[in-house]
Amino acid sequence: MLRHILRSLAGIVWVILLLSIFTFVLSRAVPGGPWDVGDIKFPLTEHQIDLYKAKYGLDKPILVQYLQWLRNAVTLDFGSPYLAPEMTVTGLIMKLLPYSALVGGLAAILALILGIILGAIAASKQNSLIDIIINSFAIIIGTIPGFVLGFLLAYYFGVKLHWFPTGGWQNEPKYLVLPVVAYGFPAVGGVARWTRQCMVEAMSADYVRTARSKGVRNMGVMARHVLRNAAIPMVTSFLPMIPGMMTGSMFIEKTFGIPGLGQYFVNSANTRDYPLIIGITIFWAVLITVTYLITDILYVLIDPRVRLEAKKQ
Amino acid sequence: MTTVTILPMQTPVRYAGFWAGAWRRFRRNFLAMYGIIFVTIIVIVAIFAPILAPYDPLETDVKNILAAPSLTHLMGTDAVGRDLLSRIVFGARPMLLVGIITQVISMLIGVPLGIIAGYAGGVFNYVVQRLVDFFSALPWYLLVLFLIMILTPSLTNLIIALTITSWVYPCRVSRGLTLSVREMDYAEAARALGIPTWRILINHILPQTAPLLLWSFATGIPTLVFAEAGMSFLGLGIRPPDPSWGQMLGTAGQFWQFFPHMFIFPSLMIILSILAFQGLADGLRTAIDVNVNV
Repeated sequence: MLRHILRSLAGIVWVILLLSIFTFVLSRAVPGGPWDVGDIKFPLTEHQIDLYKAKYGLDKPILVQYLQWLRNAVTLDFGSPYLAPEMTVTGLIMKLLPYSALVGGLAAILALILGIILGAIAASKQNSLIDIIINSFAIIIGTIPGFVLGFLLAYYFGVKLHWFPTGGWQNEPKYLVLPVVAYGFPAVGGVARWTRQCMVEAMSADYVRTARSKGVRNMGVMARHVLRNAAIPMVTSFLPMIPGMMTGSMFIEKTFGIPGLGQYFVNSANTRDYPLIIGITIFWAVLITVTYLITDILYVLIDPRVRLEAKKQ
Repeated sequence: MTTVTILPMQTPVRYAGFWAGAWRRFRRNFLAMYGIIFVTIIVIVAIFAPILAPYDPLETDVKNILAAPSLTHLMGTDAVGRDLLSRIVFGARPMLLVGIITQVISMLIGVPLGIIAGYAGGVFNYVVQRLVDFFSALPWYLLVLFLIMILTPSLTNLIIALTITSWVYPCRVSRGLTLSVREMDYAEAARALGIPTWRILINHILPQTAPLLLWSFATGIPTLVFAEAGMSFLGLGIRPPDPSWGQMLGTAGQFWQFFPHMFIFPSLMIILSILAFQGLADGLRTAIDVNVNV
């Protein structure tokens, strides 16, 4: 168990280290810098650029810059954005993340609840009309991008029916409804299809047939044998979905004008604000990979077979 | 003497071949057929865009700003009076360019890497494997957003950024397949005959992997079409004034609430094309009986 966790931990440290080197080297290697992006009418002189570089330490060798950055990053200090020197990148993340986490988290929960219910119904009524309808719905809804669905929903429920605001943000639940639905619904498709597949596989196992032949009632078989076994592949792919949706919310945030982290990140395009871009990218990656680690641990806990194999070794 | 018995024609006993069987299964799939028809139409539209579009997509008709759909402007005009139909027609180009060219380059990088890594093993395999692990651990938009911000937004940079993340899947598929094909008898026979490795790879390994590679080509496209629309929507893809469906949504500003034609047409085009490419990929999956666990 401990060895399994340590191996996963080494895996994510490797991913984050490689990502930090990749982002750091690439940002410095691309010609130009924060001082010459966009349509600049009066480019800085050579001397001004030198002063700029000296101020932010960009004139030092890249290895020195990287080690300095790494030393700070370990203590969660990603520096200050060039364009907002009064703030820190960590402070910005802490201030803006709650919006993205709320929209993404609620959307993921909505998708999981609806998707698992639909998938379970489809699996238990395999190849029936209901199964076909759910499957077609899952395929079609799964292909609609959330930010596009957002426009359609906002127009119908916001502009036409006046039920919900079409965008903007105030601390009221009604501002959350449309973004969460538009973001969560397309994810229902994938969840439903995967749930169905996992359950169908679990239902075709020998022990399910044995249980049925013993005369165990359908509900009993479903709850005790099918669901528990289907849960293993489901947890491993659904848990990473939650941070995935928290970090991928920039599209829906733009549709509805939610002042989240994704929106802020995208708005700082065309600035080449190195500390900000690298800081947020690394932060997102940590959030996602840590969930993989948690998933790995959960996987061992819920699947007795993995524990047995570990003991054998 | 041989006796000739005539079999009933409804049940052909002859094995028609792998691809014929695949096509028969593919044809039965409604979404797959929709996909192939829609993609054909959209490719024709993209190629003949200058002929098909009624106006220049950049030309502004200042007398008809934000006009509703009418006979002169079938889909209406946008906030600076550009004809929406023309912009929709020209918007098919970046969608197909990003979707197909990126995937072609990704296959050209990923497949050789995967086949060589799987066949040769050793250090090369190890390095490729670690790289694949790295890219698979992170969602595509994370790296693409970062790359676009460092490289500055443009069509070329979008294709570069997406290629860096999407060579991984073809590489994984072809590596896994090569590992299993390598151990088969005919591959071993070829090795025993002293046939050079590069010929074994091209003559024996590549044809075996072809159906799966075709599927892995198709299956990557919906995400890329989504990526083009999404990135352009965020202002990180196709730059105005050049038209792209995603960008048309992104620049609809606050006007879309009062002029629904501004978002309905681009939205529909995005949804219909992703659905078409997804239908194609799903159809291929069942047609060639893909059963991959990579």
